[in-house]
Amino acid sequence: MALSSESSNSREPREKITVRNVSRAYDSTKALENVSLSVGEGEFCCIVGPSGCGKTTLLRAIAGLDDPDSGSILVGGDPVTGPGLDRGMVFQEYALFPWRTVRGNIRFGLDRPACGCPDCEARARELIELVGLEGFEDAYPKELSGGMKQRVGIARALAPDPEILLMDEPFGSVDARTRDRLHAELLDIWAQTEQTVVFVTHDIDEAVMLADRVVVMDADPGTVQSTVSIDVERPRERTAHDFVEHVAQIRAELGEPRPH
Amino acid sequence: MSTHTDTRSDTLGTQGFESDLRRYLRGLGGLAVFLLVWWVGAMVTQPSYLVPSPLESVRAFVDLFANTTSIVVPISGSNLVLPTGLAHLTETLFHYVPGLLLGASCGIGLGLVMGWNGTLDDWLRPLIRVLRPIPPLAWIVFAIVWFGIHHTGAAFIVFVGAFWINFYGAYGGVEGVSSELTDAASMLGVERDLSMLKLVALPSAAPQVLTGFRTSIGRCWMIVVGAELFGAPGVGYEIINASNNLAMATSVAYMFLISLAFLCMDVGFRLLEGRVLAWR
Repeated sequence: MALSSESSNSREPREKITVRNVSRAYDSTKALENVSLSVGEGEFCCIVGPSGCGKTTLLRAIAGLDDPDSGSILVGGDPVTGPGLDRGMVFQEYALFPWRTVRGNIRFGLDRPACGCPDCEARARELIELVGLEGFEDAYPKELSGGMKQRVGIARALAPDPEILLMDEPFGSVDARTRDRLHAELLDIWAQTEQTVVFVTHDIDEAVMLADRVVVMDADPGTVQSTVSIDVERPRERTAHDFVEHVAQIRAELGEPRPH
Repeated sequence: MSTHTDTRSDTLGTQGFESDLRRYLRGLGGLAVFLLVWWVGAMVTQPSYLVPSPLESVRAFVDLFANTTSIVVPISGSNLVLPTGLAHLTETLFHYVPGLLLGASCGIGLGLVMGWNGTLDDWLRPLIRVLRPIPPLAWIVFAIVWFGIHHTGAAFIVFVGAFWINFYGAYGGVEGVSSELTDAASMLGVERDLSMLKLVALPSAAPQVLTGFRTSIGRCWMIVVGAELFGAPGVGYEIINASNNLAMATSVAYMFLISLAFLCMDVGFRLLEGRVLAWR
């Protein structure tokens, strides 16, 4: 009790993810150079930057799928040594298991012995409801649209109830209208689960729509250029003055010309 | 509005039926032309035993089931009485089936493990490069000196044939497993290599594994007949036995029988494959 009231009263949220001086090179390309970053507990953090700025590499390093050459990454105070069920990942191209149904994909993480859910079937049903896929439980991924596939991807990542959700350009391959709906749904889910979210995108609008804070990265070598807090109340409107201002600010950070 | 769409789907259905019908008719036409050429060829060829006519061949085929033959069941040593054609087909299956199943299991097993484990791949790849080009039938000499040319020897030859086809099916399948899927699985708690193999690599490679197995069904029929020409009992032996007596129509009848047996297995396996791979 004392602990929870303390954390909710503190102005600065506790650090959930700490990235310290991380560098990573592939052959001669410096994907990441001396990158430091911290994400607070329950924070929705977007990473934007041009392609090749190492944002995906950084996300994979936090996931434990990629080893940095130097520097350290802490999650909840412990160094990352590999993937773990405390972090869930949503992939750009969905990465669903094509031989498993919607339910089968969502249950994948629940069927591992590491998961101690008392009733996995009920949990799967709950997740299917959460992402609005009732009636498609027994469909195979090939039968689903891109937006539906990514709903499965999100539900599958949420299944083991991770503390952190890592998302790698998850809505890059869905059409604009579906993307808007998925944004709203994702924010709803985030409000319910209170997870820490790290969301990689190259779409500045998307970042401003979703994030508490936007980390702007620069390419070659991949570095953190700046971070921008988005203190705009949700739900956000793309046409609102402060929304447009934040987009313009980030665009300027990236050295892109303002649209006329 | 609804009547309009109904009519349209009706025409579509008719078109589909018509094109199916046309395909069947063409196929029948091809068969008819072949039979005609065969029949004329048989009539003009002298001496007449060189090419048995279609009618003689069909008669010989029917005759295969007119009498019974007693065969010895391996291992148990008991006798089994069946119509002659079925009896010899069963003899073939006595070495075909164990050879195919054992060869496929070993081939798939090694293919999966080698495709998955880079170190093992490094160790074995050159060896496989050397062994792979040897035709299965070339091993017949070892089959003869090790096992004698009976069921075990013939099964050994079939084993070699089934092994390589299935090995490459599984090896290629596992090599093609996308790293995104293994990443997704490790983010969902798959830690051990063996679990990854079972939960991701194997189902992902299943289409290639099954295609490999289906190919080996056909290839092993060719190999098994080859082995029987050297003297192992079965339909292949009956083909050469009949031709030694200049009963060419009987040889053709056994060739039909092999074709029929293969077709049944192929169709059966395709049905199974379609069910297992419904997700594709």
